[in-house]
Amino acid sequence: MPKHIISGLRYLAAVNLTKQGHTQKEVANRLGINRSTVSHYLNGRNLSIRSIEVAKVITELCPRDFLLLTYALLQDTNKTRTIIKACQRRKFKASVKSSCIGCGICIDSCLMKAIKLDELKAEIDSEWCCGCLICVEMCPTNSIEIEEVED
Amino acid sequence: METTEVIEEGGNITVERAGEETRKLSFNNGLCAVCGLCEEICPVEAIEVNPTGAMIRTEQETSKITIDEGKCVLCGMCSSICPFQALDLQIDGTSIKEIPGYPQLLKSAEIDEEECINCKACETACPQDAITITRDLPERKDLITGEIEIDKDTCIYCGICEEMCPADAIEIDYEEPTSINPVIASDINVDEDKCVHCGICKRVCPVDAIMEVCRICPYGEYEIELKPEITGTSYIDPELCVNCGWCQEICPVDAAKVTKPFEGELILHEEKCQGCETCVMVCPCNVLSFPKPEKPGEKPEKLHKDEKFCIYCGACEKSCPVDAITVKRNSINYTPTRSKAWQNAFESLIK
Repeated sequence: MPKHIISGLRYLAAVNLTKQGHTQKEVANRLGINRSTVSHYLNGRNLSIRSIEVAKVITELCPRDFLLLTYALLQDTNKTRTIIKACQRRKFKASVKSSCIGCGICIDSCLMKAIKLDELKAEIDSEWCCGCLICVEMCPTNSIEIEEVED
Repeated sequence: METTEVIEEGGNITVERAGEETRKLSFNNGLCAVCGLCEEICPVEAIEVNPTGAMIRTEQETSKITIDEGKCVLCGMCSSICPFQALDLQIDGTSIKEIPGYPQLLKSAEIDEEECINCKACETACPQDAITITRDLPERKDLITGEIEIDKDTCIYCGICEEMCPADAIEIDYEEPTSINPVIASDINVDEDKCVHCGICKRVCPVDAIMEVCRICPYGEYEIELKPEITGTSYIDPELCVNCGWCQEICPVDAAKVTKPFEGELILHEEKCQGCETCVMVCPCNVLSFPKPEKPGEKPEKLHKDEKFCIYCGACEKSCPVDAITVKRNSINYTPTRSKAWQNAFESLIK
């Protein structure tokens, strides 16, 4: 059920964020849940193993499916980008060619809010790029290049 | 993140996309001179200029251009290049003409009010009716002084003075004569604000009832202190002005200064021209004309150009059905931009 899968995704995000050194309070803030829920997650309580398994499969899908499925479950851009950022293991490097005309289509299409305009040119924050390639597809001048990099 | 398009009656178009920022492109059909620069610069081929000749001749109210909202990405290049202010892209309510970083065409037309003598030559010559000169003229009575008096006892109210007064300064109150009051008029008056002391009334009066003297006449050519300053203000409508330079050229005191957006060369291929006059009608700057034949039936001379007024927009070339005109653009005056793509797009219009 969507709710359970969301819990699974939150669990995975909470574990990863904790591994990265965030306190339970910080994790709770980022995921928009209360601290006791985080504590329950981290102690393996209140969560079926099946939910975690399904969530794991989702995180291992191709980046676009992972993103779109997560967004479909959460229906919220900010929550989606937090989960994706915490659970995506693959790293991407984005670059924008000088042929960019600054139309802003990529900005509007990026669910990760990784793009902004600087003096008529898009700038992509690779840190937030999830590798979905939606921007690459939308760009009217084929100015965006995204490549996967070794972690 | 959908792009929507609205085409209004009268041909105005708006294309809008609301996302992280709201981008809105407005097309003002009335200002469009059908030069085709927007079509040329559009990086996604979303703009198409509709056939010019027919539109100009029939004064249609339909849009002079078509914007494909499925293709338009609202980048704003068309808005930046349009020399006629017909296209304007706004991002979150601010025109990109006011956003730093976007290249702007360098074009201007100014009238130096210190130098301007308010002669209105520019207002008359402006092909776009973009100039308004408002001038304050002195009262006639401040330029001339004198005395005038009508002896009402002598006056027979014949009305000759009233009829001949060039300044309409004399007024007679006529009446219907009755047996009780057998007069044709009750009064005669001179409006001293209007009277210019020319003396015509005095000279035509059959009964010598008018005394008039001009105080200026005895001085002849000697200047006396009666030359009030003519003041005024000038206004050039920035929306209508096409920076053609007519005002600069026609001004007798060099008060108008114009900077044109493009420089180039206008080439007419006389052998191809069929004399249809579409270019003459299209040109927003009154550069082109056909001299009128002197006698009926005479073939008019070839197409005449005065390149001083050309801004090299290319509207004539675009409209000519027989390719008899070539507009070569040598340079575009615009503010520098850091964007290579925009710079390339602007430079691509130099041919």
